[in-house]
Amino acid sequence: MNYSNSNYITVFEQWEDQKKFFCFTEKDAENLQKLHTISAQSCDEVVESLYDHLLQFEDVRIFLSNPEMIKRLKESQKQYFLEMTAGDYGEAYYEKRINIGITHKRLGIPPRLYMGAYSYYVQLMLPKIYNHVDFDQKQAQELFLTFFKIINLDQELAISAYVHAVESVVMQQAEEIIAMSTPIMQIWDGIVVAPVIGTLDGQRTQQFMEQLLNQIVETKSTIALIDITGVPQIDTATAQHLIDTINAVRLLGSNVIITGIRPIIAQTLVHLGINLKEIITKPSMGAGLKVALDMLSIKTS
Amino acid sequence: MLVDKLTAQGATGLSITSESDIVACRKVIRDLTTQLGFGMTDVTRIVTSVSELARNVYVHAKVGEMRWNSMRSPGKIGIEIIFEDKGPGIADINQALEPGFSTAKSMGMGLPGVKKLMDELEIVSVDGKGTLVKVKKWAKVK
Ligand SMILES: Nc1ncnc2c1ncn2[C@@H]1O[C@H](COP(=O)(O)OP(=O)(O)O)[C@@H](O)[C@H]1O
Ligand SMILES: [Mg+2]
Repeated sequence: MNYSNSNYITVFEQWEDQKKFFCFTEKDAENLQKLHTISAQSCDEVVESLYDHLLQFEDVRIFLSNPEMIKRLKESQKQYFLEMTAGDYGEAYYEKRINIGITHKRLGIPPRLYMGAYSYYVQLMLPKIYNHVDFDQKQAQELFLTFFKIINLDQELAISAYVHAVESVVMQQAEEIIAMSTPIMQIWDGIVVAPVIGTLDGQRTQQFMEQLLNQIVETKSTIALIDITGVPQIDTATAQHLIDTINAVRLLGSNVIITGIRPIIAQTLVHLGINLKEIITKPSMGAGLKVALDMLSIKTS
Repeated sequence: MLVDKLTAQGATGLSITSESDIVACRKVIRDLTTQLGFGMTDVTRIVTSVSELARNVYVHAKVGEMRWNSMRSPGKIGIEIIFEDKGPGIADINQALEPGFSTAKSMGMGLPGVKKLMDELEIVSVDGKGTLVKVKKWAKVK
Protein backbone atom coordinates (compact mmCIF):
# COMPACT_ATOMS: atom_id res chain seq x y z
CA MET A 1 0.00 0.00 0.00
CA ASN A 2 1.55 3.21 -1.05
CA TYR A 3 0.09 6.22 0.70
CA SER A 4 2.49 8.73 -0.77
CA ASN A 5 0.96 7.92 -4.13
CA SER A 6 -0.81 11.01 -5.37
CA ASN A 7 -3.64 8.79 -6.62
CA TYR A 8 -4.42 7.80 -3.05
CA ILE A 9 -7.85 9.37 -3.15
CA THR A 10 -8.98 7.55 -6.26
CA VAL A 11 -7.38 4.13 -5.94
CA PHE A 12 -10.28 2.07 -4.72
CA GLU A 13 -8.49 -1.29 -4.34
CA GLN A 14 -6.58 0.18 -1.43
CA TRP A 15 -9.77 0.61 0.53
CA GLU A 16 -10.75 -3.00 -0.05
CA ASP A 17 -7.24 -4.01 1.09
CA GLN A 18 -7.52 -1.74 4.05
CA LYS A 19 -10.76 -3.36 5.21
CA LYS A 20 -9.13 -6.79 4.97
CA PHE A 21 -6.17 -5.50 6.91
CA PHE A 22 -8.50 -4.41 9.72
CA CYS A 23 -10.32 -7.79 9.51
CA PHE A 24 -13.49 -5.98 8.50
CA THR A 25 -15.80 -8.57 6.89
CA GLU A 26 -19.32 -8.87 5.50
CA LYS A 27 -20.31 -10.08 8.94
CA ASP A 28 -19.15 -6.76 10.38
CA ALA A 29 -21.21 -4.88 7.84
CA GLU A 30 -24.27 -6.87 8.94
CA ASN A 31 -23.46 -6.34 12.60
CA LEU A 32 -23.24 -2.60 12.13
CA GLN A 33 -26.67 -2.54 10.54
CA LYS A 34 -28.03 -4.14 13.69
CA LEU A 35 -26.77 -1.10 15.55
CA HIS A 36 -28.44 1.31 13.19
CA THR A 37 -31.63 1.62 15.27
CA ILE A 38 -29.58 2.57 18.30
CA SER A 39 -27.59 5.09 16.29
CA ALA A 40 -30.68 6.62 14.73
CA GLN A 41 -32.36 6.98 18.14
CA SER A 42 -29.34 8.45 19.84
CA CYS A 43 -27.65 10.44 17.11
CA ASP A 44 -29.06 13.82 18.24
CA GLU A 45 -28.03 13.20 21.81
CA VAL A 46 -24.59 11.85 20.84
CA VAL A 47 -23.75 14.79 18.61
CA GLU A 48 -25.04 17.40 21.07
CA SER A 49 -23.05 15.85 23.85
CA LEU A 50 -19.96 15.57 21.65
CA TYR A 51 -20.11 19.30 20.83
CA ASP A 52 -20.72 20.24 24.46
CA HIS A 53 -17.59 18.30 25.23
CA LEU A 54 -15.48 19.71 22.38
CA LEU A 55 -16.51 23.31 23.01
CA GLN A 56 -15.12 23.17 26.53
CA PHE A 57 -11.70 23.43 24.93
CA GLU A 58 -10.24 26.78 23.98
CA ASP A 59 -8.29 25.23 21.08
CA VAL A 60 -11.51 23.95 19.54
CA ARG A 61 -13.48 27.14 20.16
CA ILE A 62 -10.96 29.04 18.04
CA PHE A 63 -12.11 27.05 15.03
CA LEU A 64 -15.79 26.97 15.96
CA SER A 65 -16.73 30.55 16.73
CA ASN A 66 -19.63 30.95 14.35
CA PRO A 67 -23.00 29.51 15.56
CA GLU A 68 -24.17 28.96 11.96
CA MET A 69 -21.06 26.95 11.29
CA ILE A 70 -21.56 24.89 14.43
CA LYS A 71 -25.11 24.12 13.32
CA ARG A 72 -23.92 22.95 9.92
CA LEU A 73 -21.11 20.90 11.44
CA LYS A 74 -23.51 19.20 13.84
CA GLU A 75 -25.72 18.26 10.90
CA SER A 76 -22.84 16.70 8.97
CA GLN A 77 -21.56 15.05 12.14
CA LYS A 78 -24.98 13.38 12.49
CA GLN A 79 -24.83 12.15 8.90
CA TYR A 80 -21.31 10.89 9.50
CA PHE A 81 -22.37 9.07 12.63
CA LEU A 82 -25.40 7.48 10.95
CA GLU A 83 -23.37 6.31 7.97
CA MET A 84 -21.18 4.27 10.28
CA THR A 85 -24.05 1.89 10.86
CA ALA A 86 -25.82 2.24 7.51
CA GLY A 87 -24.35 -0.99 6.14
CA ASP A 88 -22.74 0.41 3.00
CA TYR A 89 -18.98 0.48 3.18
CA GLY A 90 -18.18 0.93 -0.48
CA GLU A 91 -16.47 3.66 -2.43
CA ALA A 92 -18.77 6.49 -1.34
CA TYR A 93 -18.11 5.73 2.30
CA TYR A 94 -14.39 5.71 1.71
CA GLU A 95 -14.33 8.98 -0.20
CA LYS A 96 -16.39 10.73 2.41
CA ARG A 97 -13.94 9.69 5.14
CA ILE A 98 -10.95 10.73 3.08
CA ASN A 99 -12.52 14.12 2.58
CA ILE A 100 -12.83 14.61 6.33
CA GLY A 101 -9.03 14.48 6.66
CA ILE A 102 -8.47 16.74 3.69
CA THR A 103 -11.04 19.30 4.83
CA HIS A 104 -9.54 19.45 8.31
CA LYS A 105 -6.11 19.98 6.80
CA ARG A 106 -7.47 22.77 4.62
CA LEU A 107 -9.09 24.49 7.59
CA GLY A 108 -5.87 24.06 9.53
CA ILE A 109 -7.47 21.92 12.25
CA PRO A 110 -4.88 19.50 13.63
CA PRO A 111 -5.80 15.79 14.08
CA ARG A 112 -5.47 15.99 17.87
CA LEU A 113 -8.59 18.17 17.92
CA TYR A 114 -10.83 15.76 16.07
CA MET A 115 -9.36 12.38 17.02
CA GLY A 116 -10.96 12.83 20.45
CA ALA A 117 -14.38 12.65 18.81
CA TYR A 118 -13.82 8.99 17.95
CA SER A 119 -13.08 7.95 21.49
CA TYR A 120 -16.08 9.98 22.58
CA TYR A 121 -18.27 7.96 20.19
CA VAL A 122 -16.93 4.73 21.64
CA GLN A 123 -17.54 5.92 25.17
CA LEU A 124 -21.14 6.88 24.39
CA MET A 125 -22.01 3.81 22.38
CA LEU A 126 -20.59 1.18 24.73
CA PRO A 127 -23.35 1.36 27.41
CA LYS A 128 -26.04 1.74 24.76
CA ILE A 129 -24.97 -1.52 23.12
CA TYR A 130 -24.49 -3.45 26.34
CA ASN A 131 -27.74 -2.26 27.92
CA HIS A 132 -29.89 -2.91 24.89
CA VAL A 133 -32.64 -5.43 25.51
CA ASP A 134 -32.28 -7.16 22.14
CA PHE A 135 -28.69 -8.29 22.72
CA ASP A 136 -27.35 -10.80 25.20
CA GLN A 137 -23.87 -10.40 26.68
CA LYS A 138 -22.14 -12.36 23.90
CA GLN A 139 -23.94 -10.54 21.09
CA ALA A 140 -23.26 -7.19 22.70
CA GLN A 141 -19.57 -7.97 22.86
CA GLU A 142 -19.46 -8.97 19.19
CA LEU A 143 -21.38 -5.86 18.13
CA PHE A 144 -19.19 -3.61 20.21
CA LEU A 145 -16.04 -5.10 18.68
CA THR A 146 -17.46 -4.45 15.23
CA PHE A 147 -18.26 -0.88 16.17
CA PHE A 148 -14.71 -0.52 17.41
CA LYS A 149 -13.39 -1.77 14.05
CA ILE A 150 -15.28 0.80 12.05
CA ILE A 151 -14.08 3.50 14.44
CA ASN A 152 -10.50 2.36 13.85
CA LEU A 153 -10.97 2.30 10.12
CA ASP A 154 -12.49 5.77 10.09
CA GLN A 155 -9.64 7.12 12.18
CA GLU A 156 -7.09 5.53 9.93
CA LEU A 157 -8.70 7.07 6.84
CA ALA A 158 -8.89 10.54 8.34
CA ILE A 159 -5.25 10.41 9.50
CA SER A 160 -3.92 8.95 6.25
CA ALA A 161 -5.72 11.57 4.23
CA TYR A 162 -4.43 14.29 6.53
CA VAL A 163 -0.84 13.04 6.28
CA HIS A 164 -1.22 12.68 2.55
CA ALA A 165 -2.45 16.28 2.25
CA VAL A 166 0.47 17.52 4.36
CA GLU A 167 2.97 15.47 2.37
CA SER A 168 1.77 16.76 -0.94
CA VAL A 169 2.02 20.35 0.24
CA VAL A 170 5.56 19.76 1.50
CA MET A 171 6.62 17.92 -1.64
CA GLN A 172 5.15 20.56 -3.87
CA GLN A 173 6.92 23.30 -1.94
CA ALA A 174 10.21 21.41 -2.08
CA GLU A 175 9.92 20.97 -5.83
CA GLU A 176 8.99 24.59 -6.31
CA ILE A 177 11.95 25.73 -4.26
CA ILE A 178 14.33 23.49 -6.15
CA ALA A 179 13.03 24.64 -9.50
CA MET A 180 12.86 28.28 -8.46
CA SER A 181 16.37 28.47 -7.11
CA THR A 182 18.06 27.25 -10.25
CA PRO A 183 16.59 29.20 -13.16
CA ILE A 184 19.20 28.47 -15.78
CA MET A 185 18.89 30.63 -18.89
CA GLN A 186 20.65 31.56 -22.06
CA ILE A 187 21.52 35.27 -21.95
CA TRP A 188 23.59 35.53 -25.10
CA ASP A 189 24.29 33.37 -28.07
CA GLY A 190 26.74 30.85 -26.62
CA ILE A 191 26.38 31.90 -22.96
CA VAL A 192 24.17 30.42 -20.25
CA VAL A 193 23.77 31.84 -16.77
CA ALA A 194 23.01 29.72 -13.73
CA PRO A 195 22.37 31.64 -10.52
CA VAL A 196 22.55 29.46 -7.44
CA ILE A 197 20.37 30.55 -4.52
CA GLY A 198 20.73 28.71 -1.24
CA THR A 199 23.10 25.88 -0.53
CA LEU A 200 24.20 23.34 -3.07
CA ASP A 201 23.96 20.02 -1.39
CA GLY A 202 22.41 16.62 -1.81
CA GLN A 203 19.42 16.43 -4.09
CA ARG A 204 19.77 19.97 -5.39
CA THR A 205 23.29 19.55 -6.75
CA GLN A 206 22.23 16.61 -8.84
CA GLN A 207 19.31 18.54 -10.25
CA PHE A 208 21.37 21.67 -10.77
CA MET A 209 24.09 19.79 -12.61
CA GLU A 210 21.62 18.01 -14.87
CA GLN A 211 19.77 21.21 -15.73
CA LEU A 212 22.97 23.06 -16.45
CA LEU A 213 24.40 20.35 -18.69
CA ASN A 214 21.10 20.06 -20.57
CA GLN A 215 20.92 23.79 -21.14
CA ILE A 216 24.48 23.89 -22.39
CA VAL A 217 23.79 21.12 -24.88
CA GLU A 218 20.41 22.53 -25.95
CA THR A 219 21.69 26.04 -26.52
CA LYS A 220 25.08 24.90 -27.86
CA SER A 221 26.71 27.26 -25.39
CA THR A 222 30.43 27.31 -24.87
CA ILE A 223 30.42 29.34 -21.67
CA ALA A 224 28.48 28.88 -18.45
CA LEU A 225 28.37 31.60 -15.82
CA ILE A 226 27.62 30.12 -12.41
CA ASP A 227 26.62 32.94 -10.10
CA ILE A 228 26.91 32.21 -6.38
CA THR A 229 25.89 35.60 -4.98
CA GLY A 230 22.91 33.87 -3.33
CA VAL A 231 24.93 31.16 -1.60
CA PRO A 232 25.20 31.85 2.15
CA GLN A 233 28.26 29.68 2.80
CA ILE A 234 30.37 27.09 1.05
CA ASP A 235 31.66 24.08 2.94
CA THR A 236 33.93 21.40 1.51
CA ALA A 237 31.01 19.26 0.32
CA THR A 238 29.50 22.20 -1.59
CA ALA A 239 32.91 23.08 -3.00
CA GLN A 240 33.32 19.50 -4.17
CA HIS A 241 29.90 19.65 -5.85
CA LEU A 242 30.87 22.87 -7.60
CA ILE A 243 34.15 21.39 -8.78
CA ASP A 244 32.37 18.26 -10.03
CA THR A 245 29.91 20.46 -11.92
CA ILE A 246 32.71 22.49 -13.47
CA ASN A 247 34.51 19.32 -14.55
CA ALA A 248 31.33 17.95 -16.12
CA VAL A 249 30.83 21.20 -18.07
CA ARG A 250 34.42 21.04 -19.25
CA LEU A 251 33.88 17.50 -20.48
CA LEU A 252 31.24 18.95 -22.80
CA GLY A 253 33.94 21.25 -24.16
CA SER A 254 32.57 24.38 -22.51
CA ASN A 255 34.07 26.80 -19.99
CA VAL A 256 32.84 27.91 -16.60
CA ILE A 257 33.13 31.30 -14.99
CA ILE A 258 32.16 31.55 -11.32
CA THR A 259 30.75 34.93 -10.44
CA GLY A 260 29.51 36.59 -7.28
CA ILE A 261 32.09 35.16 -4.87
CA ARG A 262 31.75 37.43 -1.86
CA PRO A 263 34.92 38.28 0.10
CA ILE A 264 33.76 36.32 3.13
CA ILE A 265 33.16 33.23 0.99
CA ALA A 266 36.57 33.63 -0.64
CA GLN A 267 38.13 33.84 2.82
CA THR A 268 36.41 30.72 4.12
CA LEU A 269 37.46 28.85 0.99
CA VAL A 270 41.07 29.80 1.75
CA HIS A 271 40.69 28.61 5.35
CA LEU A 272 39.25 25.36 4.11
CA GLY A 273 42.29 24.99 1.88
CA ILE A 274 40.23 24.97 -1.27
CA ASN A 275 41.98 26.25 -4.32
CA LEU A 276 39.99 27.72 -7.21
CA LYS A 277 43.13 28.80 -9.10
CA GLU A 278 42.29 26.97 -12.28
CA ILE A 279 38.79 28.35 -12.35
CA ILE A 280 37.97 31.80 -13.71
CA THR A 281 36.28 33.74 -10.92
CA LYS A 282 34.82 37.23 -11.04
CA PRO A 283 33.30 39.29 -8.23
CA SER A 284 30.13 40.22 -10.13
CA MET A 285 27.94 38.77 -12.83
CA GLY A 286 28.60 41.86 -15.00
CA ALA A 287 32.35 41.36 -14.80
CA GLY A 288 31.87 37.68 -15.61
CA LEU A 289 29.72 38.48 -18.61
CA LYS A 290 32.34 40.86 -19.96
CA VAL A 291 34.99 38.14 -19.77
CA ALA A 292 32.62 35.70 -21.44
CA LEU A 293 31.89 38.09 -24.32
CA ASP A 294 35.60 38.72 -24.79
CA MET A 295 36.22 34.99 -24.93
CA LEU A 296 33.47 34.56 -27.53
CA SER A 297 34.69 37.38 -29.79
CA ILE A 298 38.24 36.09 -29.65
CA LYS A 299 37.00 32.72 -30.77
CA THR A 300 34.78 34.03 -33.54
CA SER A 301 37.16 36.65 -34.95
CA MET B 1 12.71 31.34 14.13
CA LEU B 2 13.66 27.71 14.66
CA VAL B 3 16.12 28.57 17.40
CA ASP B 4 13.50 30.54 19.35
CA LYS B 5 11.08 27.66 19.08
CA LEU B 6 13.69 25.21 20.29
CA THR B 7 14.77 27.50 23.12
CA ALA B 8 11.15 27.95 24.17
CA GLN B 9 10.88 24.16 24.37
CA GLY B 10 13.94 24.17 26.61
CA ALA B 11 16.02 22.41 23.97
CA THR B 12 19.66 23.11 23.31
CA GLY B 13 20.21 20.19 21.00
CA LEU B 14 19.25 18.79 17.61
CA SER B 15 19.57 15.25 16.40
CA ILE B 16 21.36 14.56 13.15
CA THR B 17 19.98 11.69 11.14
CA SER B 18 19.47 13.10 7.67
CA GLU B 19 20.68 15.58 5.10
CA SER B 20 17.91 17.99 6.13
CA ASP B 21 19.11 17.92 9.74
CA ILE B 22 22.39 19.41 8.51
CA VAL B 23 20.36 22.28 7.07
CA ALA B 24 18.54 22.67 10.40
CA CYS B 25 21.85 22.71 12.32
CA ARG B 26 23.18 25.47 10.10
CA LYS B 27 19.97 27.43 10.45
CA VAL B 28 19.85 27.24 14.24
CA ILE B 29 23.46 28.29 14.63
CA ARG B 30 23.15 31.04 12.04
CA ASP B 31 20.16 32.52 13.88
CA LEU B 32 21.71 32.07 17.30
CA THR B 33 25.09 33.62 16.49
CA THR B 34 23.44 36.51 14.67
CA GLN B 35 21.19 37.15 17.68
CA LEU B 36 24.18 36.95 20.01
CA GLY B 37 25.85 39.71 18.05
CA PHE B 38 28.55 37.99 16.00
CA GLY B 39 29.48 39.84 12.82
CA MET B 40 28.78 38.52 9.33
CA THR B 41 32.31 37.20 8.88
CA ASP B 42 32.28 35.20 12.09
CA VAL B 43 28.75 33.96 11.47
CA THR B 44 29.84 32.59 8.09
CA ARG B 45 32.91 30.93 9.63
CA ILE B 46 30.88 29.35 12.43
CA VAL B 47 28.09 28.19 10.11
CA THR B 48 30.59 26.72 7.66
CA SER B 49 32.20 24.80 10.54
CA VAL B 50 28.80 23.55 11.69
CA SER B 51 28.10 22.38 8.17
CA GLU B 52 31.38 20.42 8.11
CA LEU B 53 30.94 18.84 11.53
CA ALA B 54 27.24 18.01 11.14
CA ARG B 55 28.04 16.41 7.80
CA ASN B 56 30.88 14.44 9.38
CA VAL B 57 28.40 13.03 11.89
CA TYR B 58 25.93 12.18 9.14
CA VAL B 59 28.50 10.75 6.70
CA HIS B 60 30.95 9.01 9.04
CA ALA B 61 28.69 8.02 11.95
CA LYS B 62 25.17 8.14 10.37
CA VAL B 63 23.48 9.33 13.57
CA GLY B 64 24.38 11.80 16.28
CA GLU B 65 23.49 15.15 17.73
CA MET B 66 24.52 18.78 17.99
CA ARG B 67 24.30 20.75 21.26
CA TRP B 68 25.17 24.35 21.94
CA ASN B 69 25.83 26.82 24.73
CA SER B 70 26.06 30.52 24.30
CA MET B 71 28.01 32.81 26.60
CA ARG B 72 27.74 36.51 27.12
CA SER B 73 29.76 38.60 29.52
CA PRO B 74 30.36 42.35 29.43
CA GLY B 75 32.27 43.10 26.26
CA LYS B 76 32.47 39.49 25.15
CA ILE B 77 30.26 36.88 23.51
CA GLY B 78 30.96 33.27 22.80
CA ILE B 79 29.46 30.10 21.46
CA GLU B 80 30.31 26.50 22.15
CA ILE B 81 28.98 23.80 19.83
CA ILE B 82 29.31 20.10 20.49
CA PHE B 83 28.81 17.25 18.03
CA GLU B 84 28.48 13.81 19.49
CA ASP B 85 27.91 10.43 17.91
CA LYS B 86 28.23 6.75 18.70
CA GLY B 87 29.76 5.95 15.33
CA PRO B 88 33.01 4.18 14.48
CA GLY B 89 35.23 6.79 16.14
CA ILE B 90 38.46 8.22 14.74
CA ALA B 91 41.41 5.86 14.90
CA ASP B 92 44.11 8.54 14.65
CA ILE B 93 43.01 12.09 15.42
CA ASN B 94 46.24 13.72 14.23
CA GLN B 95 45.90 11.97 10.91
CA ALA B 96 42.23 13.07 10.62
CA LEU B 97 43.39 16.66 11.10
CA GLU B 98 45.84 16.45 8.19
CA PRO B 99 44.57 18.26 5.08
CA GLY B 100 43.50 15.74 2.49
CA PHE B 101 43.05 12.74 4.78
CA SER B 102 39.69 11.07 4.27
CA THR B 103 38.33 7.60 4.80
CA ALA B 104 35.30 8.51 2.68
CA LYS B 105 37.06 9.44 -0.58
CA SER B 106 35.95 13.04 -0.07
CA MET B 107 38.14 16.12 0.21
CA GLY B 108 39.47 15.50 3.70
CA MET B 109 39.61 19.24 4.28
CA GLY B 110 36.76 19.51 6.80
CA LEU B 111 38.51 19.03 10.16
CA PRO B 112 41.67 21.00 9.26
CA GLY B 113 39.41 23.74 7.89
CA VAL B 114 37.31 23.90 11.06
CA LYS B 115 40.51 24.21 13.10
CA LYS B 116 41.32 27.39 11.19
CA LEU B 117 37.79 28.78 11.15
CA MET B 118 37.12 28.40 14.89
CA ASP B 119 39.05 29.58 17.97
CA GLU B 120 39.09 26.22 19.70
CA LEU B 121 38.67 22.66 18.47
CA GLU B 122 38.69 19.65 20.73
CA ILE B 123 38.20 16.10 19.54
CA VAL B 124 37.61 13.17 21.85
CA SER B 125 37.17 9.83 20.19
CA VAL B 126 37.20 6.24 21.26
CA ASP B 127 37.90 3.91 18.38
CA GLY B 128 34.78 1.87 17.76
CA LYS B 129 32.70 3.76 20.35
CA GLY B 130 32.05 7.24 19.04
CA THR B 131 33.29 10.77 18.64
CA LEU B 132 32.80 14.10 20.38
CA VAL B 133 33.90 17.28 18.66
CA LYS B 134 33.71 20.56 20.55
CA VAL B 135 34.32 23.93 18.92
CA LYS B 136 34.26 27.45 20.35
CA LYS B 137 34.32 30.95 18.98
CA TRP B 138 34.60 34.25 20.86
CA ALA B 139 34.09 37.84 19.84
CA LYS B 140 34.46 41.22 21.47
CA VAL B 141 31.35 43.37 21.53
CA LYS B 142 30.66 46.92 22.55
N1 LIG C 1 32.19 12.01 13.47
C1 LIG C 1 33.13 11.21 12.93
N2 LIG C 1 33.12 9.87 13.16
C2 LIG C 1 34.05 9.06 12.62
N3 LIG C 1 35.06 9.50 11.85
C3 LIG C 1 35.14 10.82 11.58
C4 LIG C 1 34.18 11.74 12.10
N4 LIG C 1 34.52 12.99 11.69
C5 LIG C 1 35.65 12.83 10.94
N5 LIG C 1 36.02 11.54 10.88
C6 LIG C 1 37.22 10.98 10.20
O1 LIG C 1 38.09 12.04 9.93
C7 LIG C 1 38.35 12.07 8.53
C8 LIG C 1 38.59 13.50 8.08
O2 LIG C 1 37.42 14.27 8.20
P1 LIG C 1 37.24 15.54 7.29
O3 LIG C 1 38.48 16.37 7.43
O4 LIG C 1 35.96 16.19 7.62
O5 LIG C 1 37.25 14.97 5.82
P2 LIG C 1 36.11 14.15 5.04
O6 LIG C 1 34.84 14.30 5.78
O7 LIG C 1 36.08 14.79 3.68
O8 LIG C 1 36.56 12.73 4.98
C9 LIG C 1 37.17 11.41 7.89
O9 LIG C 1 37.45 10.88 6.63
C10 LIG C 1 36.84 10.31 8.92
O10 LIG C 1 37.69 9.21 8.74
MG1 LIG D 1 34.11 16.08 6.46
